[in-house]
Amino acid sequence: MGDLLYNMTDWMRGTFLLDWAFWMQETGFSLFMVENFWNVPIAQAIHILSIAAAFGATLMLVLRINGRAGAGLSMEQVSARYVPWIKWGLLVIIISGLTMIFAEPVRNMINAVFWIKMVVLVLMVLVSLKYVGSVRARAQSSGLTWQATGSAKSTGWFIILLWCLIMVCGRWIAYVPV
Amino acid sequence: MMYPEPTNIWESIEYSSLGIAIAESTWAFPTLETLHVIGLVTVLGTIFVMDLRLIGAASKNTAVTRMAKDTLPWTWGAFVLAAITGTLLFISKASSYMINPYFLVKMSLMAIAGLNMLYFHFVTWKNVAVWDNAGVMPSGAKFAGYSSLFFWIVIVFCGRAIGFTLGIYY
Repeated sequence: MGDLLYNMTDWMRGTFLLDWAFWMQETGFSLFMVENFWNVPIAQAIHILSIAAAFGATLMLVLRINGRAGAGLSMEQVSARYVPWIKWGLLVIIISGLTMIFAEPVRNMINAVFWIKMVVLVLMVLVSLKYVGSVRARAQSSGLTWQATGSAKSTGWFIILLWCLIMVCGRWIAYVPV
Repeated sequence: MMYPEPTNIWESIEYSSLGIAIAESTWAFPTLETLHVIGLVTVLGTIFVMDLRLIGAASKNTAVTRMAKDTLPWTWGAFVLAAITGTLLFISKASSYMINPYFLVKMSLMAIAGLNMLYFHFVTWKNVAVWDNAGVMPSGAKFAGYSSLFFWIVIVFCGRAIGFTLGIYY
């Protein structure tokens, strides 16, 4: 596993990603991020807090679909409460994440784990959008007696698993050999 | 590898076989950190849901008791995970943590957040039946919600600051 990641990273060093990373490093914003000691830890704290908000909201939504929370609330009511927190949370996650990439462009852009994280993140967002849309539509057409199907319940847990995988990658970006 | 003779309790913890095993392993510390992150975002995420209900900012269609039942098992389960992994991280560098101001502030704030929760649970909660379904919360519940949000946000900042300052104090 370590060897595979190292070889992927080594290959990235020969692509346009390196030029990109160097370009980012030369920007004024990158300089701003590194010249104050506290900018990166503050960005990371905001990143963690927004992950907590969006992940917590996702968990509550998945629990409702699984019949383990939000008893007495319709899928519409639960979506109205949590989906905006997931969307706005994701926006803050992406913005704070971008500031962290600009702070250390080479460590991120030339890093297999970073790109695995990006692929899983995009997958998670696409699966979540499709999932929430279809569950809401089915809940609305079935009315008050609506019960999620077994596959809808397990897809919810699959989304939670994708979030966890993204967090695993997030932590290991800092440790993978580059 | 040889380690110096411990001169205080924190060094004794750090140079214990468990502390050395975590510190010397290439994967143990990052793996524990990863589990710590998954645990803490679950703790925070579910606490935010409860706090937003308590300050009356969200979930007004959900009874406060219902919200507590929905979130608390996850908050506590994840807290146990974060506490165990956090303790193991601490053991591996105990003396560095004990002289780090951000670590000490973080632990103090977690103790205060715990007291805030105890006060809410044993005092404010007594007449929850009166305001269980209310849109506007009593000031005791609002205070518990706002202060919890404040403490946990600062705790996260301290947690991240530790990672950037561990080893610069000695």
